Amino acid sequence: MKVNVVKNVLQANDIVANKNRQTFKESQTLAINLISSPGSGKTTLLEKTIPALNPDSQSIVIVGDLQTTRDADRLSDKAYQVTQINTGLSCHLYANQIAESLGDLNFKEADFLFIENVGNLVCPGEFDLGENVKVVLLSIPEGDDKVAKYPTIFRVADLVLLTKIDLIDALDFDLQRVRDDLSKLNANVQLIEFSSHTGAGMEQWLDWLRIKQTESIGTQARFIKE
Amino acid sequence: MHELSIAMQLVEQIVAIAEENRWPRVDEVELEAGALRQVIPEMMQMAFAEATDQTLAQGALLSIRDIPAKARCNQCTLEFEPEPDNFLCPECRVADVEVLEGNQIILKTVSCEAES
Repeated sequence: MKVNVVKNVLQANDIVANKNRQTFKESQTLAINLISSPGSGKTTLLEKTIPALNPDSQSIVIVGDLQTTRDADRLSDKAYQVTQINTGLSCHLYANQIAESLGDLNFKEADFLFIENVGNLVCPGEFDLGENVKVVLLSIPEGDDKVAKYPTIFRVADLVLLTKIDLIDALDFDLQRVRDDLSKLNANVQLIEFSSHTGAGMEQWLDWLRIKQTESIGTQARFIKE
Repeated sequence: MHELSIAMQLVEQIVAIAEENRWPRVDEVELEAGALRQVIPEMMQMAFAEATDQTLAQGALLSIRDIPAKARCNQCTLEFEPEPDNFLCPECRVADVEVLEGNQIILKTVSCEAES
């Protein structure tokens, strides 16, 4: 006996992701999925970003790591609320882990939800969490060939943050190569040269976040009218 | 390494179908994988064997059909087959596309040869 199924294998995850997206719309929260290799500066970025967004806005954070609560500990006095997900052996977050974490967070008050995904440039791209935007970090020490090597995640990024830009002169990093590789994947992706250390690109990044947050509220307003 | 995550989701669906039909086991599974998902067949076979271990689908044959990517240029509407690292429209030379095919991972059929 043969059964014709024709079903999306990742459907279970996608259904929960869509529910999350609806939840974020209703609470007018911009959900940002931060994706990068381990050590590219995601937690440091949040340590600098969240206080800079204050006092006008509330930020909450969900951090995913295989083990430890170190990232959540680092951020606990910066963000309004922080929760850590330990994924064990899983190399990415699932939508249902976000849905479960939302139960512990007072997200309705939040303007920004930062989801720090597990450090990995491959698997997080496969699993929709219901986020509004994907921000991919690429740090200068990782090398200028990573966009071409991991094209999938860079193609679906809304923004690429080129972190640790203050190290560019010390390392043999070809910025134009990154721009060229990105332009082959997605003409609409933005790139910000950024340094948590010097503050370079910080204003541009904060403006981008505020614009996206306003846009997501705008979408919500239209949604209610329809 | 994302093959294991995909295989685990796949096996959940297969086992549910087998249980629904009261099959003693699953013999064959047909999967369609879009080229943009970058599913490596050998990795997927290994992951599938691992994920089906000690389930009704243990030992099932997995066949994977690769679905080529297809994109439509948002500027000139030309449809073309992009490469994973190159989405430039052959006409406009700009990567501004809607992906029409190649993102899907679809479970097509599940079969059991045993009488039920």
